[in-house]
Amino acid sequence: MTDAGAAADCARFAPPDERIRPGDAAHYVPGQPDMWVFVLVEALIFASYFVIYMLHRVQDPALYLRSQERLNAGLGVTNTLILLVSSWFMARCVQSSRERRYDVAFRQVLFTMVLGLLFIGFKLIDWSRMVSEGLELSTNEFFSFYYFLTAIHVLHVLIGFVFLIVAAYQLRSPLRRSQEIVETCATYWHMVDFLWVMIFALLYVIR
Amino acid sequence: MTATSERRLLTILLVLSAITLISWWIGAQHGQGEFRLNGPVTFGVLLIATVKVRLIIGEFMEARHAPRLLRRVADAWLALLVSSLLAIYFIGAGFHT
Amino acid sequence: MRAVAVQAAPVLPSGLFERLAWHWRYNPKLEFWIAWYSMVFFYNLFGVVFVGMTRVMPPPQPWWDTPRVVQWFNDNHNGLLVGFGIIFLVSGLTAACNALIGYSMRRMSVSRAFAYSYIAIYSVSALPGMLLTAIALTVGAMRPERDPELIYWLYDMGFMCFVGTMGIFLIGTLVWMIAILIDKNRVLPKWFGYLNICNLITEFVVATSWVFKKGVFAWNGAIAFWVDTAVFAVYTVAFIYLLRKMIKREDFGDGPLPA
Repeated sequence: MTDAGAAADCARFAPPDERIRPGDAAHYVPGQPDMWVFVLVEALIFASYFVIYMLHRVQDPALYLRSQERLNAGLGVTNTLILLVSSWFMARCVQSSRERRYDVAFRQVLFTMVLGLLFIGFKLIDWSRMVSEGLELSTNEFFSFYYFLTAIHVLHVLIGFVFLIVAAYQLRSPLRRSQEIVETCATYWHMVDFLWVMIFALLYVIR
Repeated sequence: MTATSERRLLTILLVLSAITLISWWIGAQHGQGEFRLNGPVTFGVLLIATVKVRLIIGEFMEARHAPRLLRRVADAWLALLVSSLLAIYFIGAGFHT
Repeated sequence: MRAVAVQAAPVLPSGLFERLAWHWRYNPKLEFWIAWYSMVFFYNLFGVVFVGMTRVMPPPQPWWDTPRVVQWFNDNHNGLLVGFGIIFLVSGLTAACNALIGYSMRRMSVSRAFAYSYIAIYSVSALPGMLLTAIALTVGAMRPERDPELIYWLYDMGFMCFVGTMGIFLIGTLVWMIAILIDKNRVLPKWFGYLNICNLITEFVVATSWVFKKGVFAWNGAIAFWVDTAVFAVYTVAFIYLLRKMIKREDFGDGPLPA
C-alpha cells in the first residue's frame, strides 16, 4: 500500500469531531451512518416483537413449552452457526477490501452468500417438516409467533442478498470498489445475524 | 486506523460458536421428557444471547472502533431489551407458581 | 458552473395576510408549498377523522358476533357518515403527496421511469388506503335496519381493506427506495432510503391479519396494527419533514439529470 493510499484511507476514516486520547485508534463509523440509523430502527421494531412474544409466553407457559418440544433445535443451532460463519466471512471481506485484496474479498462475500442460501434452505426444510406434521401458522399461539418471527427474519435475509450482491458488484471492478458501500452492506448482514441470535434464543432455547 | 486481525476475528467466531453450543446444551439437558419452566436456564440462555449480540456488534460490526455515542446506543438497546425480557419472564413466572 | 446571482433576502411585509399575498404573487416555489401544506393538512385531517370521528383507528375486534357489530355501527352512526363524508370530499388531496414524492424522484439522477411509475402506482393507492373502507363502512351505517348479516359482511370488508391491503404501497415504496439509494444528487438522505425497508416489511406483516381474528396478528393486534402503525407514523413524519427540506434547498441545478 502506497503512502498516498494509506493517507487517503486515513482521510476516509477521519473521525467526527471527537477528542482522540493518546493510544486511542481513530474512531470511525464503519460504512454509511445512514445504515446504522436503519439498524437501530429495525432493532427497536424487533425488540417490540420480542417483548410482545414474552408477554404472551408468560400467560400460557405450558402451551409454549409443549410446542417448543416439537421444534428441531438441532436445525436451529445449525442455522445459528451458519449465520455466525457467514458474518465472519463478511467481516473478513471488509478487512480484505480495506487491505485492497479485492479478489480475496470477492471470494469472501461469495461464501457469505452461499451460507445465506444454506440458511434459507435449512429453514425451508424445517418449515416443511413441521407443516407435514400439522404444525402451521394458526396451530396455536406459539407457532404463530414462531412462523411470524422466522418468516420476517427470512425476509430480511432475502433483502440481505441484495446488499451482498451490491457489495460483490463493487468489489468486482476496479472502477468501483467503494469501501464505504462494502462496509454498509456488511453492517446490514451483521444485523441479520444478531437478530437471528435473539430469535433462536427466544424461540428454541429458553424454558 | 485500526484493522481487526484475521486471528482476532477467528477467535471471536470460535467463542461465538462455543457459547452457542453451550446455550443449546443448557436448554437441552433439562429437556428429559417434557420441557419445564426453568428460570436459571432462561436466565443463562438470555445472558449468553446478550454476550453473543454484543460480540457481533462490537467485533464484526466494528462498533468497538466507533464513536462513543454509537456504542452507548447499542449497549442501551441491548440492556433495555434483555432486562425487559427477563423482568417479564420472572414476574410472569411469579404469577404461575 | 453556477450562474446564480447572490441577492439580498427579500423583505417580507408584516402581517399574516399581507405575507400570504406576497408569497402568492412572488414566491417561485409556491406550487411546492401549496402541495406540502395540502399534504400536512390531509394527514392531520385523516388522523382526526379515522381516530376521533369514525373510530376506525384503533379498529374494533374482529371476533365480535353479529349483534355486537350492529351495535358498533349504531354507536358510531353519525361519526362514520360525517367523518367519511369528509374523506370523500378531500381524498383528492392525496395527489399533492404523490406529486411531491414524484417530483423528488425527478430531481434525482435516476431515470424518469421511477417518478412516473411511482405516480402511476400511487394514483390508485387511495382506494385500498381508505376509500374502499370508507365506502363499505358508510354503506353499513347508512341503513341501520339492514339485514345484520349484510352489516357484518360490510364490517369485515371495511376493516380487511383498511388493514390488510398493502400491495400497492409495497411496490411503490420499493420504487422510491431504489431511486433514493442509487441517486447521486442526494435529494433525500440514504437513511430515509433504508427506512423504506421498514415500511416495506410492514406491508408483509399485515398479511397475518387475514388469518387471525384474535391476538397480536388480528387486524387490531399489537403486532399487525399497533407496531405497524407506529412504524408507518414514523416513516410518514420523516418524509413530510424531508420533503420540506427538499423544497427549501437552493442548490438544485448542479447535479446530473436524466436526458
